[in-house]
Amino acid sequence: MKRISLAVTVAAVMSASASQAQELTLWSHWADQAAKVEFVEGAARAFEEANPGVTINISWYQKEPLYAALKTALTAGQGPDIFYAETDQTEYMENGLVLDLSDGLNWDNIEPWAQEVWGWQDGVYGFPLEAWTVETYTNQAMLEEAGIAMPVGGLEGQAFVDAVAKIAEAGQTPMAQGVGDRPYPGAFLTHEILVKKLGVADYQSLLRGEGVEWTDPRVREALEFAKAIIDAGAHPASFSSIKLGEAHRYFHTSPGAAMFQMGSFYPSRAFAAPDEGGQPDGFPLGIVNGPIPPGAACPECKTIAVGGSFVVNAGTDHADLAVAFLNSMASPEMGNNWLEANLVGTGIKADPSAIEGENATYFQKLAAANAGARYTFGIPVQQMQGTPRETFTQVINQAFPAGLVGVDEVISIMSAAY
Amino acid sequence: MSRDVNAPATAHAEAAQEAERDHANPFSAIAIFLLPALIVYAAFTALPVARTFYNSTHLIVPNRPAEWVGFTHYVELWSDQMFWKAVWNTLTWAAVAPVLEVSIATLLALALYAKVPFSRFLRVAWFTPVLMSYVVVGILWMWIYNFDWGALNALLRAVGLGDWARPWLGHPDTALPALIAVTTWMWTGFNMVVILAAMSSLPSEVLEAAELDNCGWLAKLWFVILPLIRPTLLNLVVLSFIGKMKIFDLVWVTTQGNPLWATETVSTYVYKRAFQWRTFDLGYPSTIAVIWFVIVLAGVLGLTFLFRQRDRLEY
Repeated sequence: MKRISLAVTVAAVMSASASQAQELTLWSHWADQAAKVEFVEGAARAFEEANPGVTINISWYQKEPLYAALKTALTAGQGPDIFYAETDQTEYMENGLVLDLSDGLNWDNIEPWAQEVWGWQDGVYGFPLEAWTVETYTNQAMLEEAGIAMPVGGLEGQAFVDAVAKIAEAGQTPMAQGVGDRPYPGAFLTHEILVKKLGVADYQSLLRGEGVEWTDPRVREALEFAKAIIDAGAHPASFSSIKLGEAHRYFHTSPGAAMFQMGSFYPSRAFAAPDEGGQPDGFPLGIVNGPIPPGAACPECKTIAVGGSFVVNAGTDHADLAVAFLNSMASPEMGNNWLEANLVGTGIKADPSAIEGENATYFQKLAAANAGARYTFGIPVQQMQGTPRETFTQVINQAFPAGLVGVDEVISIMSAAY
Repeated sequence: MSRDVNAPATAHAEAAQEAERDHANPFSAIAIFLLPALIVYAAFTALPVARTFYNSTHLIVPNRPAEWVGFTHYVELWSDQMFWKAVWNTLTWAAVAPVLEVSIATLLALALYAKVPFSRFLRVAWFTPVLMSYVVVGILWMWIYNFDWGALNALLRAVGLGDWARPWLGHPDTALPALIAVTTWMWTGFNMVVILAAMSSLPSEVLEAAELDNCGWLAKLWFVILPLIRPTLLNLVVLSFIGKMKIFDLVWVTTQGNPLWATETVSTYVYKRAFQWRTFDLGYPSTIAVIWFVIVLAGVLGLTFLFRQRDRLEY
């Protein structure tokens, strides 16, 4: 009898503790980005400590395998409670696979533009952890050597074309772009010129095929300006095969280039130790805007993109807990922790000026390059879908900057894609 | 009593009859042996194929029942320029590569058959590429084709042909030929070993008879050896054709279909449409898969019909 009552007691205790124990699953990109892994794991452990009985199991992936795994898991109704997503993945919202976070998330601590980017119909669906702007990084020493003064506001029109030609004639590479493994870095030059030329509203209309067309005279002028820069020898001959990491190294180490248009996630690779692929100690890094096309409607316009974000599975049994975990990361303190650890922007409200130490100068330069900026949200591949997106990747990201097609062909091919 | 005496004999006769019946109709034994393989085949081949056919006529998205859309996807595919570009590239690859692989392999096999110096070493060296995966081969050849420091351009510059140096995988005119060269390099050795085995098993009396008839080496090759190994060559052509019609890995590692869809194949396009086009719908990619399955099947049947041996060789 004693044995039976003991067994009943043990079972009751186990049942009670099981009912209190809750497990959240999170699938995320960034498997090879230690600082980001450390940040999210740290947040998870802190949340577990603050909520006894809760465990957060995180699986780290590379981006493509993660997307493939999510596609099958979500279709089968077996996805994780929280998962990594980016703003262009509207298919999650279209199919009702993610929760509307309008009421759950602490939006007071999130930048309004980041909230806007994740807006879809009447809801807001993502927690914008990572954000970055498109910048023109410069090797100040190389520019000085070539006798080129490049203001933070950027060089305009023919002055930029002349600068590129001068650097190329000196046997050096003006811009260290490469598209060997990404669908977007080759397009930075053209789309930043387009957004400045057209202004945000018309630029978005062009990308989405909602009014402004590729045959518009302003678009032609912008493309002709980009073409002049390309024909002046802006990019390396190996442009098509240079991968993202290699392009960083090409710029700051070997063989070196005067400029490098890149997302402001540049430090995540370049600020590693030199023997781990980072830029050399004392590298004369500058950050400027531009190039600015002649007759620009909005010279201060540029692109800001929300990158890695977290969304909550609409089918989760732990929605409140999942949102609570995201809220635990949505504080200015955590925002600054993210900045300091990852050296890349965030959609969480943070104060870069509060950052001290060796990276403070970098954030000051970045802030100067973004002073007074007006933003368009998302790079084109995040704003486009289907055939136009694929065509943009092949044409504007690769063939046009590689000099394989001219302005007329770009207009013709892009027009046919919509 | 007599019945008791005869009972064992009767039982024995019945057992013998039953055994004979079993041998005449061994259906249950066949079923037992075939069932495991059939279950595996049904689960992992027949069912997915049937499901792909089903998907091709439906809109398949999560949280909604599959929606019958008839032949909408097929009509849409007809006007899909990217698909036809991918078809053209794949057919080019599947037409050119088998010819290159089998003809070069035949020459190499002849060299080994004639026992050129270092033939043992050469046989291993020429066979080695096929032992590597497409991923390794892809990375290797991306280095070789690199514009700045790749071996090919370095060689061209070293011999004074620097003007010919170019980003081989970065230009629409050279990207596909450059990849065809890679698969030729990779698979020629395999074909060579198979052809060499076929040559080694040729009846020596036929070859000796040809020699007695003062048949020169070229005539012997053309009129004796090649006709005798023709079935082997044709099988290799068909195998190579099927392999190239499905090629994915090498393209994905090296160019992902770039530049300007110059290396897009049907397999890479299906993958892009299924997993990279920001949609959950598997109907359209399934339609491409169905159409391509039919084309590949027709191609194999066509080749088999084209190469069929009308007259049986006798020797």
